Amino acid sequence: MEFKLEAHRIVSISLGKIYNSRVQRGGIKLHKNLLVSLVLRSARQVYLSDPCPGLYLAGPAGIPAPPPQQQPGEPAAGPPAGWGEPPPPAARASWPETEPQPERPSVSHAPRVGDEVPVTTVTGVGDVLQGGEADATEAAWSRVERPRQAAAREAEGPAGGWGVFPEGSLAARRPCFCPLGGEDPPGTPATTPRTACCCAPRPAEDEPPAPPAVCPRKRGAAGVGGGPAGCPAPGSTPLKKPRRNLEQPPSGGEDDDAEEMETGNVANLISIFGSSFSGLLRKSPGGGREEEEGEESGPEAAEPGQICCDKPVLRDMNPWSTAIVAF
Amino acid sequence: MGLSFFSKHLPIQEGQPWALKTPADIISTVEFNHTGELLATGDKGGRVVIFQREPESKNAPHSQGEYDVYSTFQSHEPEFDYLKSLEIEEKINKIKWLPQQNAAHSLLSTNDKTIKLWKITERDKRPEGYNLKDEEGKLKDLSTVTSLQVPVLKPMDLMVEVSPRRIFANGHTYHINSISVNSDCETYMSADDLRINLWHLAITDRSFNIVDIKPANMEDLTEVITASEFHPHHCNLFVYSSSKGSLRLCDMRAAALCDKHSKLFEEPEDPSNRSFFSEIISSVSDVKFSHSGRYMLTRDYLTVKVWDLNMEARPIETYQVHDYLRSKLCSLYENDCIFDKFECAWNGSDSVIMTGAYNNFFRMFDRNTKRDVTLEASRESSKPRAVLKPRRVCVGGKRRRDDISVDSLDFTKKILHTAWHPAENIIAIAATNNLYIFQDKVNSDMH
Repeated sequence: MEFKLEAHRIVSISLGKIYNSRVQRGGIKLHKNLLVSLVLRSARQVYLSDPCPGLYLAGPAGIPAPPPQQQPGEPAAGPPAGWGEPPPPAARASWPETEPQPERPSVSHAPRVGDEVPVTTVTGVGDVLQGGEADATEAAWSRVERPRQAAAREAEGPAGGWGVFPEGSLAARRPCFCPLGGEDPPGTPATTPRTACCCAPRPAEDEPPAPPAVCPRKRGAAGVGGGPAGCPAPGSTPLKKPRRNLEQPPSGGEDDDAEEMETGNVANLISIFGSSFSGLLRKSPGGGREEEEGEESGPEAAEPGQICCDKPVLRDMNPWSTAIVAF
Repeated sequence: MGLSFFSKHLPIQEGQPWALKTPADIISTVEFNHTGELLATGDKGGRVVIFQREPESKNAPHSQGEYDVYSTFQSHEPEFDYLKSLEIEEKINKIKWLPQQNAAHSLLSTNDKTIKLWKITERDKRPEGYNLKDEEGKLKDLSTVTSLQVPVLKPMDLMVEVSPRRIFANGHTYHINSISVNSDCETYMSADDLRINLWHLAITDRSFNIVDIKPANMEDLTEVITASEFHPHHCNLFVYSSSKGSLRLCDMRAAALCDKHSKLFEEPEDPSNRSFFSEIISSVSDVKFSHSGRYMLTRDYLTVKVWDLNMEARPIETYQVHDYLRSKLCSLYENDCIFDKFECAWNGSDSVIMTGAYNNFFRMFDRNTKRDVTLEASRESSKPRAVLKPRRVCVGGKRRRDDISVDSLDFTKKILHTAWHPAENIIAIAATNNLYIFQDKVNSDMH
């Protein structure tokens, strides 16, 4: 249990560092944030793998002995629930593209219902993501909480999205400014939290077609080079590509003069966790999750049992409250 | 030479404007030039201060040349990138001297984004006796000019003039962490977190990218470049270190893009030492070739290691700088000290290596005798001309009188930047905003 507490503490500290790095002079330091994200991953792995009764019921029974990065003992992980995969989701979530500044204005216009996260006036890339991020962030956070479930479910289909944890984080990464949670347009059934915002990047094959309704807003929000890419044809994944259009390898990217220093991911992560914590705070523990769970109906509908366990756990876990309050 | 005693030189900063304790005065880099006559320091405020060693005076043979301020100039200013809404710090990350090719001295200084070539010249004569201008330079009334004279050069007080000759901008998307001048004296390289560029000293509008470790998908980023240096003799070889603790030696003859290394130097991790912070403490903060070119010196958070270019599997020597911190990594992570980037240095003969630590301590390791010493750079603990006393950090167990316990170390006093004179036993230690220069009076020759 000590492992767990220390791991939790380290997670909180790490998130705080990433959060604070937004306001650093000189921009986000890639090296330091990479190291912090590595620590975050290690701590989270330990935290989640440390057996603690009642914490995570479902989930791979195999509780791997701490540290191994890959958790070989973890059964039915299916596509690695992103958990044992280095770099882990959180870390991966850390390196999305930078959000282009032009999107800043739009962000503030896409508040999430009930989003009380104040859009701070902190300068820096992270700032851009504050407002609209809340939703994606909370979803991402809830995903962080749910590794076991994902693993247990033997992610398939869109759950393939589950299995590939990074996607969830991807949603967080790519601030898609479309509201999550209750506000999700009804047209978005069967969506995982990340796709709940219909802007889930990758596995287009798994996602339900994003409701066009959302696209326009996103496109408007984007207003950037990703412009045309803002809302691809239905059925494909509406990627929010900050500056690059649908970054595919073919595009060969960004080796032009306007290359962004891609640390926006870090800012994303900050927003993710920052807002998510706040989200957890203002909602009843697990309540928000449930809502999101509802969003992701479909093949990967979360098993009720697992959600239930989150609630009491959350309420009882003082360390988490501490961390939440910290944000 | 032995690790004998260094007498303390007057701290240069005393009484000088740059001794004020403002954050902008924190020294961020120290570098001797190739002869050791000049010592350049850069600070967080974007200034460069150059010290010059006074020639030894015959009248006072005891006072070997001391360093005095030679020139001060503002190298970089804070900038704002409007496109990305990011401020660009003016802090000087690195200074590297160019080999001297004429009467002028040249150095490269860099902040996070821009490298500048500065030329330092002396003027100690002034022409006097112009026909058309008077003493103040105002034009004379031609009717008053009745005869012609030839202007003559008269001595004047030495004036050191510094001018920026080249500005190498827009070459880097990420933060520049190192620069290194090639032995060919024509090119140099600059490295940021993910890329290394090769520049020609005379061409500012383009550079060649020779290393690019940026993954196609930034999600897959696992390591960054932390330091890089050209080989001192082979102009085609350079090394770069990574945040994972590995070194890559690259040969520019092999390919235009040196993403594939010629040699990879990596030591397998000791599983018994694994912790949450293993990755952080294995990140290499500095790499330096030996003067001979045969070895490399690396510094990670707790150790310095000597690598033989001919052996990739592991370092040939490992020295513990402050292993007593291993149990305190969590606290050091909390207060950000674990991210401190210490530098390391060779002495002129490659027999002694030096690096900084906390509490204004710095350490030296004699590779031959395997002896090591901990010294302190502070005004309180040393008087001018006195001999530095070796310090000791006690980790429990019996404690001697002057020992410092681990828990009373001051982690805000860190010596990140040190430099060793290329030929003599003179070292420059940057302790926050103070510069200390120590000389070994007992044995001033290298053995």
